[in-house]
Amino acid sequence: MCSASLAQTPDLTALEQTAQKRHVEWESQAKSLEERLARILPCDTRSSAAIAEVRALSDARLAALSDYMRAASSKAFAETAAARNLLSAEERRAVEASRERADAGQEQTAVDIQSDGLVQSINQRSSLQEPQKLLEQIAALIRQRTAESERQADVVEKTIPILRDLVAKFEARDAALQNESAAFEAERTRWSGYYSARQSRAQTECSITQIGAPGPGPARQPAKSPAKASGKAKQ
Amino acid sequence: MRCWLFAGIWICSAAGLMGQTSREAYRQDYDAWREVHGNLERDAGSGGATLIPQVDRAAARVAAFGTNRAAYAKAAAQTAAQQRQILQAGTTRLSPDLAPPALAALVTGELQTVTKTITRFAEDRDRGIQQLRQSLERERDALAALNDAIQARQKAVTTTTAAGTALEQVRIRAAEMIGSETSALSQNSVQLEKETAAWAAYYEGLAKAIQLANAPPPPRVEVTTVAPRNDNGPGIPRARYVGAWTYPVSNGVFHGAQPEFVDLVVHDTNGHADGALFARFKLSGTATDPLVRFDFQGDFAAAPLQRFPLMTSEGTAGTIELIPGPAFNLLEVNFVADPRQGKINVGNFILVKK
Repeated sequence: MCSASLAQTPDLTALEQTAQKRHVEWESQAKSLEERLARILPCDTRSSAAIAEVRALSDARLAALSDYMRAASSKAFAETAAARNLLSAEERRAVEASRERADAGQEQTAVDIQSDGLVQSINQRSSLQEPQKLLEQIAALIRQRTAESERQADVVEKTIPILRDLVAKFEARDAALQNESAAFEAERTRWSGYYSARQSRAQTECSITQIGAPGPGPARQPAKSPAKASGKAKQ
Repeated sequence: MRCWLFAGIWICSAAGLMGQTSREAYRQDYDAWREVHGNLERDAGSGGATLIPQVDRAAARVAAFGTNRAAYAKAAAQTAAQQRQILQAGTTRLSPDLAPPALAALVTGELQTVTKTITRFAEDRDRGIQQLRQSLERERDALAALNDAIQARQKAVTTTTAAGTALEQVRIRAAEMIGSETSALSQNSVQLEKETAAWAAYYEGLAKAIQLANAPPPPRVEVTTVAPRNDNGPGIPRARYVGAWTYPVSNGVFHGAQPEFVDLVVHDTNGHADGALFARFKLSGTATDPLVRFDFQGDFAAAPLQRFPLMTSEGTAGTIELIPGPAFNLLEVNFVADPRQGKINVGNFILVKK
């Protein structure tokens, strides 16, 4: 069940590579955006297009990152579920180990009784000496198994607290992952808000200068050139 | 011959083992074995050949118990190994390269530029410049909010990384502790199989010792050219197998699939047995067909436990064992056929003579 769910997890490596590719694509355009805008007249359509292009690349980057994080979280949560299952199974195994230890003790007693009976019968029939030897070998095997059962039961008992700690650590990791996902989504929203504000500023620069706007008549000449002023300030 | 018989019981039990078993099932087998075994060792001192059927039954029971328990241990070890695989692989961790610190630097730089420009225009009363300044202030606010969000995410990333590191440390510790135990667990079934084989050898030795003690003195002249086919072993008349047998309407004794009815007919022709069994079982597990029908034949062996090859009505091969019951009119039947989709291929029950 767990292995099946893990197997259905999308290829994380491929998603990570896609996210990295989208990041590089966006970063190269985002870094040079202001420099490019400074060389374009405020109402030149290329100005708005440049911002829209970087915004699209940003959206693509964030979408790829979101896909990657969702898949990674899904895989991580499946691991936690598997760890919980393991803990339950080991707890059951601890109970089982103690029952097996009791069973082995019971078998040991039964063989001892058989052996006693056979020793008495050997006095009447010497031919029973051979089975007596075989019974002793069986008793030795059971003693060996009893000792191993006890050792295994001890190990299982010592393992349980470690597995409980492990499950707690898995759960802490999942909680951290959930917080990170939430923080990422908040950041994603902020990126969108920023590009909206940047596009809005470009429109304001155009509306107050009308420099480079296509259409009838000459462009109005403003008292000052704020677009260039803000562009220079950024450089 | 007895050696083959005991080995046969063991192999047959192993081959006939159902895919699934449980602790309860093998503990029932254990109880059944101990009950059948009784006080064999004590009785062996004075008992005669009449003890042999009891030895055979005990051998069959311990074989069933041993193989069931070994199979259970093996399945448990396999399940444990599968479940513990989670500890062997590293846990999932997010790549730190997807949102590098340079991202925050880009935003911070932009925020500083916009803030400076706003300051530059602070005293300008021009209406257009004021509009631009307001627009820049909105952009600055958006950048500041973005900057905060990036810092919050980076903090979350740090927490996740620390949680992942702590998790990995515990996982490695647990893997080291449990790893060696997984192989030890898989050895349990091997140990149990050794014990089962040892029990088979023991019962064989016990039966031999009893027979040896009860054997008549050897004849002075032995002229046997052809082994008699109908030598049925010490003290077990053919009538214990031959005839028409049925499963009792109430209080039937069975192990595994529960019969609703069973009809068995066994014929004897000069030491050669042939027979037919027709039965209907209560459905359980993966079986979809309640009916079992097969024929069998073979020579009666010089042993209490008779084992014959069988062929089902669908052409599936298998074996049937006939074991005289504790009373004259009781016969234990144990059959195993090759597995076939939806069919019941294993049965063990006691029949009464019609």
